Amino acid sequence: MAFATAGRSMKLYWGSGSAPCWRVMAVLEEKGLGKYDSKLISFDKNETKSEEIMKLNPRGEVPTFVIGEIVINESLATCLYLEDTYKSSGVQLIPSDCPKKAQVLQRTFEAPGFMKKGLEDLGYLYMEGDVNEEEMKEKKASLKAELALWEGYLKAAGGDYLTGQDFTMADCIFFPVLAVMVRLGLALRPTFPELGKYYETVSKRPSIMKTWPPHWKGTEGKKWLNNVC
Amino acid sequence: MADTGKDMLLYWGSGSSPCWRVMIVLEEKGLSDCEKKLISFSDKGHKSDEILKLNPRGQVPTFKCGDLIINESFAACLYLEDTYKSQGPPLIPSEPARKANVLQRMFEVPSFTKKAMEDLLYLYMFKKPEELDQEKMKKGKAALKEELAMWEGYLVKAGGTYLDGGGFTMADAFFFPTLAFLVRNGLKLGPTFPKLAAYYDAVSKRPSVQKSWPPHFKESEGKQHLADVL
Repeated sequence: MAFATAGRSMKLYWGSGSAPCWRVMAVLEEKGLGKYDSKLISFDKNETKSEEIMKLNPRGEVPTFVIGEIVINESLATCLYLEDTYKSSGVQLIPSDCPKKAQVLQRTFEAPGFMKKGLEDLGYLYMEGDVNEEEMKEKKASLKAELALWEGYLKAAGGDYLTGQDFTMADCIFFPVLAVMVRLGLALRPTFPELGKYYETVSKRPSIMKTWPPHWKGTEGKKWLNNVC
Repeated sequence: MADTGKDMLLYWGSGSSPCWRVMIVLEEKGLSDCEKKLISFSDKGHKSDEILKLNPRGQVPTFKCGDLIINESFAACLYLEDTYKSQGPPLIPSEPARKANVLQRMFEVPSFTKKAMEDLLYLYMFKKPEELDQEKMKKGKAALKEELAMWEGYLVKAGGTYLDGGGFTMADAFFFPTLAFLVRNGLKLGPTFPKLAAYYDAVSKRPSVQKSWPPHFKESEGKQHLADVL
């Protein structure tokens, strides 16, 4: 079958626990392209700066993704490329219907701001050990306000997913980030019951279960974000 | 008959790169009759009730397309390109290698914008000179220079005027506004980055870019914060 063959000529360099990598992996599964080659790199050993990756991605980052002669290295670029190129394969992640398309695109592109508030400005700093608790207070308040917005979105959408009853690109881009925050200690309930339900529902989706960060299974996460909500 | 922008409404601020991206795409897609409402950042126009009703984040661009609301610049641009694909030039090529190149460059723009704005220009714009950590500013300028070198390389690799070679694409609509903001603030591209300098001149002359040029850029001189970066 055309897309299964295409799946086998793809190679993804990825790291366990990286939300951007997880997004690409979720989309590959949803599009029925799960038979790609993959190389798991170690962040601890600084393998994102290996010669092999630098040759394909001068920024020395993952996900780094190769399809035949083509290289695409930004998670959003890769996800959109896959959805557009394999539109009729697997689940359609961006609806053709204008109102739904607009909503999916809107939520998809709000997700980077969410990642900035919860990970770049907060979670990653704890990982680097670079933490001043006084500064963290304001950032945690900012993250809580951001979570309240997403709680509202879920309530208004009235279904299992961000834009209603259908799992879309918005969930592929948003969920991995939320899951990393939960791993770092974010406790969604009781303050955000819609987000709590969403987290549980999406965690059980086959594409998400298949791509769950391997090193999370059977180990404890951190407690850095446990006083945010 | 081509669709027009008459049922569209854009709230925008002069000099905002995200707003400028949407305006370029509207022009390129032949939707220039979109109604536009200019707000003033200094008057906190982006926090008005009118905008907050459509965009709880109180930001521009805030964009209404008939009954639909799309407030993230990337989302609005992608929506417009997909929905009005047959109008104006194709801003995202359908040929796989070129599509991949354009998408990749589009989504590298946030890395560029972070180094240009958050890590550098916003500090000059919103902090008092005595509050600036000079070591940090020096590092920020060095990082920006390295980032610009990457984009110079991309132009060389693409082998034409634009980021994807001979044709203007969504990558340019995303990248150019931030580059123009840097030039406005004193960045001198030539002679260090000749391809970027030629790119800046060529894209500046494009009708969609001319039509959406920030009005206050024409009315006054910019600062010289970045005169010593290159």
